[in-house]
Amino acid sequence: MLSFRSLIFFHALVACVLGSSDYAERLLLRPLPQSALLASFNFRSNESFTSFEQQNFRYFPRSLAQILQHAGTKELHLRFSLGRWDAESWGERPHNGAREGGTGVELWAWLDAENEQEAFSRWLTLTNTLSGLFCASLNFIDATKTIRPVMSFQPEGDHPNLSQLHLLHGTLPHEVVCTENLTPFLKLLPCKGKAGISSLLDGHKLFDASWQTMSIDVRPVCEASGECILEMEQTVDMVLDIDRSKRPRDNPIPRPLPIEEIECDTSKGYNAADTCYPLHGSAEPDFSLSQLFGRPIKGACPLTDSDGENANTVCINTPPERTVHANTTGPYVESRLVADTLRCYKLPTGADFDLSLPSQQMTTGLMLQPPSLFAARHINGHGQERGSIQTTIRNPTSSAVDFIYLESLPWFMKPYIHTLRARVSNSLENPITETFYKPAVDRHRGTHLELRMLIPASSTLTLTYDFEKAILRYTEYPPDANRGFDAAPAVIRLVSPGSADRKGVYIRTTSLLLPLPTPDFSMPYNVIILTSTVMALGFGNIFNLLVRRIVGADEVPGAGTGGIRGVIKGKVERLRALLGGVKKNT
Amino acid sequence: MASDQQKALLFGAAAAVRLILFTAFPSLPNLLAGRVEVSTPVTSFKRLQEGLFLYTHNVSPYDGGVYHQAPLLLPLFSLLPDPSYYPFATNLLYTALDLLAAQALVQIAESSQAVTPRLFKSSRKDLRWSSLAIAAGFLFNPLTVATCIARSTSAFTNLFILTAMAKASQGASITFVFALSLASYLAMHPILLFPPLLLLCYDVRVVKSKSTVDPLAFSVSHVLGLVVAAGGLLYMSALLTGSWEYLAATYGVRLLLPDLTPNVGLWWYYFTEMFDSFREFFLGVFWLHVASYMPGLTIRLRKQPLFVAVTLTGIFAVFTPYPSIADASLYLSLVTLFRHLFPLMRYSFLASATILYASFLGPAFYYLWIYAGSGNANFFYAITLVWSLGLSVVVGDSLYAALRDELDVERPELRGKEVTRI
Amino acid sequence: MALISSLLALRKDARILKLPPYLSALCIVVGVAWLLVLPLNEYSRNTYVSENALLPGQVHTYFTGSEHNVFRAYRHEVHALVNSPVAERNQRLGDILRSHNLKVATQRYEYHASGRNISNENVYAVLQGPRADATEAIVLIAAWKNMLDQDNMSGVALLLTLARYFKRWSLWSKDIIFLISGDSTSGPQAWVDAYHNSHDPAHVEHLAIKSGALQGAVALDYPAGPWGHRFEKLHVVYDGVNGQLPNLDLFNTAVNIANGQMGIACTLQRMWKHDDSYQDRMQTVFRGMISQGLGHATGPHSSFIPYHVDALTLQTVGDGWHDEMSLGRTVESLFRSLNNLLEHLHQSFFFYLLMGEKRFVSIGTYLPSAMIIAASFTITAIALWVQSGRPSTPPPNPASTSPPAKPSNEKEKVPMTVVKSGSSTAIIPTPLLTTTERPLFLPLTFLTLTHFLSLLPLYLFNNLPSRLLTPTFHLSLLLTSFLPLLTAYALSTTSRPTPRETTLIHCFAAMFLGMFLSALATLNFSLSILIGVAAAPMNFIRAISPSSSSSEWTKGTRRAVSAAQVLLMAVLNPLLLVKGATVWYGVDIGDILVGAAEGWHVWGLWTQVVVWLVWWPAWVAGGVVAATGLFV
Repeated sequence: MLSFRSLIFFHALVACVLGSSDYAERLLLRPLPQSALLASFNFRSNESFTSFEQQNFRYFPRSLAQILQHAGTKELHLRFSLGRWDAESWGERPHNGAREGGTGVELWAWLDAENEQEAFSRWLTLTNTLSGLFCASLNFIDATKTIRPVMSFQPEGDHPNLSQLHLLHGTLPHEVVCTENLTPFLKLLPCKGKAGISSLLDGHKLFDASWQTMSIDVRPVCEASGECILEMEQTVDMVLDIDRSKRPRDNPIPRPLPIEEIECDTSKGYNAADTCYPLHGSAEPDFSLSQLFGRPIKGACPLTDSDGENANTVCINTPPERTVHANTTGPYVESRLVADTLRCYKLPTGADFDLSLPSQQMTTGLMLQPPSLFAARHINGHGQERGSIQTTIRNPTSSAVDFIYLESLPWFMKPYIHTLRARVSNSLENPITETFYKPAVDRHRGTHLELRMLIPASSTLTLTYDFEKAILRYTEYPPDANRGFDAAPAVIRLVSPGSADRKGVYIRTTSLLLPLPTPDFSMPYNVIILTSTVMALGFGNIFNLLVRRIVGADEVPGAGTGGIRGVIKGKVERLRALLGGVKKNT
Repeated sequence: MASDQQKALLFGAAAAVRLILFTAFPSLPNLLAGRVEVSTPVTSFKRLQEGLFLYTHNVSPYDGGVYHQAPLLLPLFSLLPDPSYYPFATNLLYTALDLLAAQALVQIAESSQAVTPRLFKSSRKDLRWSSLAIAAGFLFNPLTVATCIARSTSAFTNLFILTAMAKASQGASITFVFALSLASYLAMHPILLFPPLLLLCYDVRVVKSKSTVDPLAFSVSHVLGLVVAAGGLLYMSALLTGSWEYLAATYGVRLLLPDLTPNVGLWWYYFTEMFDSFREFFLGVFWLHVASYMPGLTIRLRKQPLFVAVTLTGIFAVFTPYPSIADASLYLSLVTLFRHLFPLMRYSFLASATILYASFLGPAFYYLWIYAGSGNANFFYAITLVWSLGLSVVVGDSLYAALRDELDVERPELRGKEVTRI
Repeated sequence: MALISSLLALRKDARILKLPPYLSALCIVVGVAWLLVLPLNEYSRNTYVSENALLPGQVHTYFTGSEHNVFRAYRHEVHALVNSPVAERNQRLGDILRSHNLKVATQRYEYHASGRNISNENVYAVLQGPRADATEAIVLIAAWKNMLDQDNMSGVALLLTLARYFKRWSLWSKDIIFLISGDSTSGPQAWVDAYHNSHDPAHVEHLAIKSGALQGAVALDYPAGPWGHRFEKLHVVYDGVNGQLPNLDLFNTAVNIANGQMGIACTLQRMWKHDDSYQDRMQTVFRGMISQGLGHATGPHSSFIPYHVDALTLQTVGDGWHDEMSLGRTVESLFRSLNNLLEHLHQSFFFYLLMGEKRFVSIGTYLPSAMIIAASFTITAIALWVQSGRPSTPPPNPASTSPPAKPSNEKEKVPMTVVKSGSSTAIIPTPLLTTTERPLFLPLTFLTLTHFLSLLPLYLFNNLPSRLLTPTFHLSLLLTSFLPLLTAYALSTTSRPTPRETTLIHCFAAMFLGMFLSALATLNFSLSILIGVAAAPMNFIRAISPSSSSSEWTKGTRRAVSAAQVLLMAVLNPLLLVKGATVWYGVDIGDILVGAAEGWHVWGLWTQVVVWLVWWPAWVAGGVVAATGLFV
């Protein structure tokens, strides 16, 4: 209960920051079970429309702004994600999943265009320029990876002319997010990672996290008075394994601990000098920011407000009994909110700031809000010819949930929509209330499937459909053809119960690996030659018969054993050669 | 009378076999429908179901990469109950298709056009199988049964081809033209059968009508008939789907081969491994190659038009882009019409052994490639080569036998002598 | 193929019908000899790792120190669970795995085979790799009971310790699944079936937790008690169900790591002593072929291979100085190698015969032997076909392009008929008009009936309760031994098959056998060649009838020859051979049958299908053909 209120309050907190100043940043730390720690960084910078039009940018990064103007982008959402959120142990997702993406890179935007063609050409401009800006292969988002979602995404900003905005959405599930994406991300911040909480962001630690996602959201926000601002929100959410992250960088190998440092269960009868049943201490592990991130915070970013709500840039969400030490030489202010479950710190300027939590035996458990849905997706069957997708969605809550399920599949994965079956564990009626389906076209367009479904309280929904795998031209396979192809994660948006703000509640499944049948890449020439040979044999044999006249053998001088046996011999020789050749090629 | 009883018995047995297979092994139809040897992208029943689903849910089935079959099949099947729940009606339909096809085959056999066309009396005309035996050969051919159980739509094509032949050999112009236009509407390439069958129809008509028939008027009228019928079908399809985009999705796919799903033919692996810059060129060459047989055969074997048509079906079974065992079954059961040529064929055992081996090794190699993962694509490719080779040997050999048969009539003194070709 | 065509071309040559038996004999001799020369250095190769990503043994292993103490403790824990009921056992194992912060689930399964009830429970845990996105996974298996039904204590304890150790690493790019299966064959089968959702929910529970596509599996078999036991060698078991093999790269990696990095000697196919001599190599190959031919599950890994998941079992043997830690480090290094994989293992060979841990022959080298032997049947079939189609006096084939031997006398011999076609008159040899129809009806019905009959024993042996199996086997052994005689007698009394019909029966039987065997050779080489050799004499028996046999033979001689042939076929009775093999290896036929039935119901084994539906009918046909000589 306590935890629930605190979270609600936290979201409210984030929401009310908006607009009140031009730049704000906040780091929220929340210890999770199994010695994990959620660290969510949040940066927000605003720019008024007028100055945006006049291209004088204060906090808003010029590079991105010019791209947006060039591509006529009114609202932009970009995600870089790695790993998976373990909802069973960690509970509700940060920002209700509204600031995370599927594995790899995900991008969707509302573009201002007259018609679909123009929208798509602008979309290509956008993806190409962004790929340059973020060193990601976003330019590979072509027509086959682009869909136009109907129900799954709602604009977060205020748009006067929503009618002529086009929503396009693309994913790159196989894109590996790494430091080269983080550096440009930090460059967009006014403090460039030199000061403020962004000084903690370091590639080695960030990408050693169990789960991490970076997001960029640009949206117009209009006051009631009518004057509008363009708001850009950058977030980095990560779940760190405390034990793993505490390892010093020069010695990251998890060597076995000396036996003295292991807590043995002496109550065991066999316990001896050489036999030790390890105990897993129930105490919360100790950690400090400098241990986890390899460095302390280098003071406050001078551009943040010096007082007021936004001054509290570092917050930690723990039970009140947990002791938290702030180590710094400069002056700082600690404020306790939400019944002391949320402790926020106003950073000193110009002085390092570090938080350290000692190991502690807790009496009250950690505060977790259970998620409203669990979703898992798998491929059934084996073999490279066909299979079936099975999505299992569990509703643990005591109220029915209305949600939208979005799948965007590559064209070479051909779903059979007539085999789509949705079953609910404890009821018989069809949970699907609405369906949008746009079938794939070979080499031109991917499959786009959106389902609106209603899952009753505390029940499980199983969604299955068959699909067939196409065999591609051998030039269309990637270098690691035998790894298989990645199918993008499914996106689930909760309609009711939705969220208070306009961000919405999202859940994403993991991506899938799709092994395709592969031809033999080593022998195009052999195939061309052999097939042509067989056709030539058939053609030659038949036309040989057609164009030549048959006469008695004795009427033709010197016509001994005719050419037919020769032809057959040839056929047979080639056939044998062919079989031999193939055997060798296995 | 007795023959009628036998016929009823035969057809009853054939129907029983199919229905028993359908009902006794409920999973068998889907299993066979998934086999690449039986159902190709342009004939697969599962794809037909998908197209049907989209059609009944007001999504254009042709705005997608799955359904490549003729539009008129959609309303037909939308009348039947959903086969995934109530398969019986569909099973009955496909059984009926086979029986009708067999009936057409019987008619072809009874109008002894195979042995004694107008311009040619084979010297072995008394050596032939009874029409019932030929029908049995078709009905109990495992390939035919498999096609029927897999509910592949090539059963329709086969039926219409056989009907066209039957009607042509009976001189029934209108039904012949209509059946052929249906076949060509479904599968496109049967249009190549038109000239030989037209000749056949003409011959029969000349024999029937004592008065002479003007060949020019005859051919013109039939060509016009074909154009009208085919055009009508296409236009109806356009009305049905509301646009002409189905042309690209059906005939376009057959022409340009965007879907490289494996089959027993020669095209799929060739164009999987083909270099992109040459793709269009070789597509043109391959189609030209398929079409090139028709005129040559028709001219050389003017006296035996039915044989030309049959040989062309054999060529379709080997050299078309999406062949399946259904085409092979059609050809093999048609060849039995020419029993009198068998003594003249030289490689019958070689060819049949090759085909048998291929039909055993094919599934094994496909399993190794796709499921066990221990063999690569070349295994299956090699078997398709062998299969095609076997069939083309049968085609060539029967052609040789036919020519030899003509020679024996032209120059009886050459019988039993060695011959050579100059 | 070349043989076929040349035969066809010359088929009217009188001598040709004498040739095939010798050809077939040659084929069989060559086929067997081919196999015998394989172990020579000239024909076999040294193994090598062809997948670059594996980098076997390139990493330093850290599984030492305090892990050893933990291992000992876990071994005590496991030992304490040996006699506890399944639920309690898995509860405890699950708790230990949960204490490592892994996701744990259990799976019940229950099979019924030959009256027995195989039911147990798997417990497994998923370690979600920090670098992984749930698309790929590798499996570490330790069956609670190994193949010899011993308690796999140290194996399970090692798995628990490795789970705790692996959890600390941050470099895993694939999920790691730790599976403790209830037994060594059905448990893994149930688990892997459910993982791919191809299971029967009536018998096998769904999996609560799943991960990505399985890339490889390694099973541990280390049945050492609570006080440990130092082993001498690692026995690498690699045969899959139905004779399918894992990718050779996996095997090479395991051997390379154990041998090169850890200094543990490796052995295979229970060749405890292997001095790389010709005999030892040959024996290894032979044992490998037997085990592959039987197609049974040889360890927990076997069930994975049919799903194209390369897997093998590491089994500790002998008394030596290697301890559990070196085995643990081997597994660690092996998993680091598998973790490096970028693609599914596809580079190296899937068809191979191993003759030592470092020497093998690939399919291209050994397949011809099986193919040649299969071809011998086809040759016989062709010969018999030609023979059956031959009228007593061969007319020259008008179509054959080869000039007849002696045209002049040829003309005189052949009777002529006058044909008037139109105006022209022709003189035609009569035999051409009277074609020689082959009587296909009786042979085909006979063979079809035999094949359908063979469904009966197949069904019986798969479904009878275990206590009835052995008596049934001996009974059917007795019956089948006399079946050919009886059938031949019945035929001779009722329908009196003409020699031509008998020949055709023989022809089709040989043809089907040849065809099946050549197809089988690509799926399960060993089974194909074993059956091929055992059925080889079918090529040489002939139906002795007054017309076919050479004229100077008296009735007595014919009877004697036929009797000899019947005796030969009786000795080659498949059941008799199986019985003989069991006696030779000193195993109880009952166990074999029970295992086969379990294989049929649980693993999807089809060895018995081949035996009953391919081998046995062919043998019956051969026996009948031989026996007809007795009744004419």
